Amino acid sequence: MSSSREKILAAVRANQPDELPLPTVPSFEGDDSVEKFTSIVQGIGGTVVEVTDAARLPEVIHQLFPADYRIASPLLPEANVPVDAQTPIEVLAAVDLAVLQGEFGVAENGSIWVPEANMLHRALPMITQHLALVLDRRNLVATMHQAYARLPSVGGYGTFLAGPSKTADIEQSLVIGAHGARSMVVLLV
Amino acid sequence: MSHSKRSDIFLLDTERTTWHDATLWFVRQKRDKAVYATPEFQELRQLASDIKDHTLSRLDFYLQQFEENARRNGVQVHWAADAHEHNQIVLGLLQQHGATRVVKSKSMLTEECHLNPYLIKHGVDVIDTDLGERIIQLRDEAPSHVVLPAIHLKKEDVGDTFHLHLGTEKGNNDPQQLTETARQHLREKFLVSEVAISGVNFAVAETGSVVVCTNEGNADLGVNLAKVHIACMGMEKLIPRLSDLSVFTRILTRSATGQPITTYTSHFSKPAEGKELHVVIVDNGRTKQLGRPDFRNSLKCIRCGACMNTCPVYRRSGGHSYDFTIPGPIGAILSPNIDMRKHASLPFASTLCGSCTDVCPVKIDIHTQLYKWRQVLGQEGEIPASKKWSMRLLSRVLAKPAMYGLGGKVARQGLRFLPHGLTHGKGYNPWAIARELPEPPKQSFREWYAQQMVKL
Repeated sequence: MSSSREKILAAVRANQPDELPLPTVPSFEGDDSVEKFTSIVQGIGGTVVEVTDAARLPEVIHQLFPADYRIASPLLPEANVPVDAQTPIEVLAAVDLAVLQGEFGVAENGSIWVPEANMLHRALPMITQHLALVLDRRNLVATMHQAYARLPSVGGYGTFLAGPSKTADIEQSLVIGAHGARSMVVLLV
Repeated sequence: MSHSKRSDIFLLDTERTTWHDATLWFVRQKRDKAVYATPEFQELRQLASDIKDHTLSRLDFYLQQFEENARRNGVQVHWAADAHEHNQIVLGLLQQHGATRVVKSKSMLTEECHLNPYLIKHGVDVIDTDLGERIIQLRDEAPSHVVLPAIHLKKEDVGDTFHLHLGTEKGNNDPQQLTETARQHLREKFLVSEVAISGVNFAVAETGSVVVCTNEGNADLGVNLAKVHIACMGMEKLIPRLSDLSVFTRILTRSATGQPITTYTSHFSKPAEGKELHVVIVDNGRTKQLGRPDFRNSLKCIRCGACMNTCPVYRRSGGHSYDFTIPGPIGAILSPNIDMRKHASLPFASTLCGSCTDVCPVKIDIHTQLYKWRQVLGQEGEIPASKKWSMRLLSRVLAKPAMYGLGGKVARQGLRFLPHGLTHGKGYNPWAIARELPEPPKQSFREWYAQQMVKL
């Protein structure tokens, strides 16, 4: 195994060209408004709900989702499925709704940065049937340049999550709800 | 079999060919809309190209930097010189964990290495979880596109396949219902798999992270439920800095499908507590391509598929006609590096219109390389005899004005008097299979020109 390593590196050294310069990437700015972010999220199959007061969050969740949903969330006292990194798969698989904190949103593509620390379990944002991400409206950036500039580190695991899971693998027909969440709502506080 | 022979098979079904052509062109148009809505897109292309050029010029450094940082993060890094070693490493890891149930998300590299048949031969139940990949796995076919693996199929084909393998009702061809069936079927697999294998879209040297982009969420679901995640990457996936991802995440999906970003753009840097993360770095011919100055920048490819969607030949011949893991224009410049003789016809599967080069988000000069491969193949004697001899004859005629003049005269007379069946014979004049030769003019331009000069 290590012999392949040496062999590959030697071949790379022998074959790579003289060094070419690494460019500096400018921070292309853009529209970071709630309107822009909202229209893009809708365009990729998600919804945005404006929650006027963070204290109204449980009430809004109650209005949006049926009462008997099994909910996993570190943000709601109503959450009835406790989840942590050791939660067995069968328990995770039964979650109807996960309500998690998003760190910041990117207006140009509707994605939201969700680091591992906000997920309870790494698989929760994908295995849940429905996903709600809570996002502070002041935490919007325009483009991916500002997004990565906000990340001093990506931690152990983290994802830019943009809308519900989708596929168009059958005749290019768009179907929402492939393997991950069937719906994704952004709760703007 | 040559590309054109295999295309003939695809072209037998006119209706399907027309649909294939139109559908891929529609994807190209979605790409245009997304690109035109991004004012700095051309600057991003240049940056992406420059970052990749730089990375390839210091690849030894970045490979080692990535390895060092990944190891510090608790990731186990493996090196594979070729496809066989890659497959051995993956199987070894599975055996070490006593794993027989494996889910896999999309990875063109594992297709290139033919990992699935290798694992199946060794008793591993490996399940592709990307919907398109799962469809073709059930049909025992290869992907026909790097982003849309089942684009050669119609919903009726998928309906039949699911009826046969997943017990859906016969004649149920509804994409929504078929996708729901696949969701339920694959959830069972996700929940019980011990190991998950993924591809890698980008590997960040400065953080030791691998980035995986999907729309379905199958990669994240698989690797986050399994005890062991094996990420397989070609060595050219490296980029130097985390901030470079801002450039690549902005161009990848806009070029591929016209989306602003994939649903999941996931960064894996450390294994979850109590779990394992392995990265297999694969050469398999890449260092050889790095040593070909005319062709090395094909290693900048980020597998967006834009060159396929735009290519008039790919759209009308289908991915399987290329008989190579990566089809289309990019496949036609990557494949001769792997096996020049086997893939000798691919650089000729192009009109050299240059559309592939125009849409390539990392500015690979694809059509120039297609042209250059033709020169290499000519020198290596990998050109069919009919083409070789007709070109030789033509170069002689074109070099002698008198012979050219005589040839023209004979052709003008011949076309007038010879029977149609003789001048348009399919066997020796393939040009005329779908075309009519022009009405021969009375005189040639040169004759006319000489007359005008006399009049003056």
